[in-house]
Amino acid sequence: MKKRTLLAVVVSIFSVTVALGSVALAASAPSDPFTKVSGELYAKAKQEGALTVYSVWDVEHIVAILGAFSKRYPGIKTNYWQGRNPEIITRVMTEFQAGRDSVDAILSDNAPPVIRAAGAIMAYETVQKASLILHDPTMPVVSLQIQALVYNTKKLKPADLPKSWEDVANPKYKGNVALDDPMRAGPLSTQLAALKGLWKDDARWTRFVKGLKALGVPVHKSTSAMMRLVIAGEYALAMPALLHDVVNEMGKGTPVNLVKTASPIVFARYAGIYAKAAHPNAAKLLAEWLISTEGQATLDSIGREASRKGFQSKTSIGHAYPAGTQPIPVHDKLFLEDPKKWLDTNVKPLWEG
Amino acid sequence: MLFRSFTTGRLGTIVAFNVQNYIRVFTDPEILPMINNSILYAAGSAALGTGVGAMLAWIVARTNTPGRVLVELMPLYPILMPPIMKNIAWILLLAPKSGILNGFLRENFGIQQLVFNAFTLPAMVWVFGLACVPLGYLFLLPVFLSFDPSLEESAYISGSKPMRTMLRITFPLAFPAFLSAFVLNFLRGLRSFETPVLQGSPGGINVFVAKVYDSMSVEYNPGIATAYSTVLIILSVLALLFYVRATRFSERYATITGKGYRVKVIDIGKWKYATFLAVFAYFLVGIAIPFVVLIVVSLIPYYDYETFMMFPANIDLSNYHRVLNHPSFVSGLYNSLFLSVTIALVTVLAGIIMAFTIYRTKVYGSKVFEFIGTMPLAFPPLVLSLGLVIAVIGTPLYNTLWALGLGLFVAYFPYALRNASGAIVNIHKELDEAAWVHGARWRHVFFQVTLPLLKPTVTGALFYIFIEAIRNIDVAVLLVAPGNEYGPVTLFEYFRVGQWAEAAAGGVIYLIILILAVSIAKFVFKIKFSL
Repeated sequence: MKKRTLLAVVVSIFSVTVALGSVALAASAPSDPFTKVSGELYAKAKQEGALTVYSVWDVEHIVAILGAFSKRYPGIKTNYWQGRNPEIITRVMTEFQAGRDSVDAILSDNAPPVIRAAGAIMAYETVQKASLILHDPTMPVVSLQIQALVYNTKKLKPADLPKSWEDVANPKYKGNVALDDPMRAGPLSTQLAALKGLWKDDARWTRFVKGLKALGVPVHKSTSAMMRLVIAGEYALAMPALLHDVVNEMGKGTPVNLVKTASPIVFARYAGIYAKAAHPNAAKLLAEWLISTEGQATLDSIGREASRKGFQSKTSIGHAYPAGTQPIPVHDKLFLEDPKKWLDTNVKPLWEG
Repeated sequence: MLFRSFTTGRLGTIVAFNVQNYIRVFTDPEILPMINNSILYAAGSAALGTGVGAMLAWIVARTNTPGRVLVELMPLYPILMPPIMKNIAWILLLAPKSGILNGFLRENFGIQQLVFNAFTLPAMVWVFGLACVPLGYLFLLPVFLSFDPSLEESAYISGSKPMRTMLRITFPLAFPAFLSAFVLNFLRGLRSFETPVLQGSPGGINVFVAKVYDSMSVEYNPGIATAYSTVLIILSVLALLFYVRATRFSERYATITGKGYRVKVIDIGKWKYATFLAVFAYFLVGIAIPFVVLIVVSLIPYYDYETFMMFPANIDLSNYHRVLNHPSFVSGLYNSLFLSVTIALVTVLAGIIMAFTIYRTKVYGSKVFEFIGTMPLAFPPLVLSLGLVIAVIGTPLYNTLWALGLGLFVAYFPYALRNASGAIVNIHKELDEAAWVHGARWRHVFFQVTLPLLKPTVTGALFYIFIEAIRNIDVAVLLVAPGNEYGPVTLFEYFRVGQWAEAAAGGVIYLIILILAVSIAKFVFKIKFSL
């Protein structure tokens, strides 16, 4: 009996000790999911030893991002290639078909969904999804594309400004609008998808698209080049411009400003993980780090929009627009999954018909 | 790429092997207007460029125009300016509402009408035509420098005036070289990308290559893009057939013969001042004015007419600071210098060997080589670039500088071939035959007879291909690999993200380096290029 009692006491003491130890361990464990996952990913990424990124962003921005990443996570050699979205898509798809593993992560807005639709993206859901303004369960949203309606302050008086995106289709702006090509998977097509979802009124949306077409203005294939033409005074309105471009230009004193009554359109800028990535853990680590507060601060330092809730940056909507401005996101499932198919189904019949 | 044109499917997957892409191409209602625009644009540019180039070559080679050193160099410097820089400069000059010229007329003369418009077909022909001048000049100059003067002297003795002699004797004899340059410029026009996209699309002028680009950039469909490219190939083949037919009696035009001669410079009297002004005018519009515009734009915070006219009160060096601190600037410049020199040497040598085989040997089917060698010209650079990626992607060459070198070789070999062909046609066969009769083998004929006579052409082609390669963007853009930067692509990145001022600053730096290199070569090392 004594033996049993002694054994029970020993077991009890051991159990309490283990339990207390567990509590102590649990207390010291990181509560932030990023800290936990980054530790695991970094260990694997260091073994992989390298990371190659394809991106549509400015080279200086990519270098700044990869420089900060390398400083935070030494032992991972980084490399990059910069191209336009069509070139990124063409290059990735060509490499995918040939079975090459030349790239690990694709940092862009409109290219990753198209690549994903072709099956060349490895699904990865970030552990920081609760912190994100926009979330995609297969591709981490590391930044935002925020579209703004912009005007040349020398060409349009405030009284003559359109009040909304819809107003731009007013015939009085004919010849004054720099219009993005709605048939490319670019900012204007994103905007059309967002407004279609917001209005839930096909007749109104159709009128809007036909109104834009009736302006009879040539379409452009580069939003940045459109911005340059608006600054130069060739056009009075950019339909649309990107907020980080506008903030950057306004900082230089260029004669442009936001039409603040037109709510900004928001779309994801992804870090897509390539399906045949040679260094998938390094790519995931980059994506997670970019979403972390440290990564978002790096993006802010180069003037890129943050994707994290509550993160105040130079290019955040709260900073650039009046309080209470509600952004317009894209919810259209087909557009998010296959933008090209969405365009063929919805815009093409109106634009080319 | 040919295989791709017979496949249909969505991204990443080939669904079927059929002719659907071709059915879509040839039933496209836009195809005829686009072909019409393309031909007008390409032929207009080629005519302007080759015509002005021929005139400049004649002035430099055959007249006593004053300021010889300057006159020799002025037609060459415009070639150094990357095409996209010219487009940017001319858009800034000719834009309807924001352009410098319309602004100047409005502010100073009260002319509210938009006199100039960069986004019209004539403006496109003007800008691309100017870019075609150096090729016409470099093709025609060796021909005018190699003339047997007895032909012209016969005309003078018969009482012909200099102008009539020029029109009836000199220019007809230069016809094969003129046609070579015209066909090449025409083909360049058909596939040129920057001018149609930057100036044509904003004005609603669609040329055929824009459709190919849209197929790639909007549909991401290499199959349909290559099917559309076949129309360009057909147009190119037609142009080549025309060229072959027009020069089928090319031996009649041989001007380098076994007789000794010295090129005669013609005294054109007071007209020599007019010819000097003509060369100077081309220098102004070809490089000086666009260069000044770019310098000013690179030194001001942003471009609009008022800010431009405030210069130099608002000088801002931040654009240069950014470019010089660009992560890839120095390595990209080094790579582009190394590859351009190598590619110029290899393509010119290969071009001469192929031209010699075609025109001086009896190898069966050698004429076919001419078509094959010229065929890359028919491909829009983006499609050519993609084709090359597909070709090397399974090899160790992929993602190396060698792949880029191969791409540049394929892209510029047609220029070397056409240049060498035009020159070999001008060397009378009697020189070869004299060597054959004395028992020479083909290599003796090639190295000791043909090659020395081709020297002026060889240096011209070397110079031209070096300059074209060192500023290439369209072929290099898909072949540039992570870690292997290429200078012009690095600079073009600025343009792609809409940073025209930084692109202008980069272009100015690049241009200054090239002008210095050419001037040092000319004045320090006495390299005569084509002269």
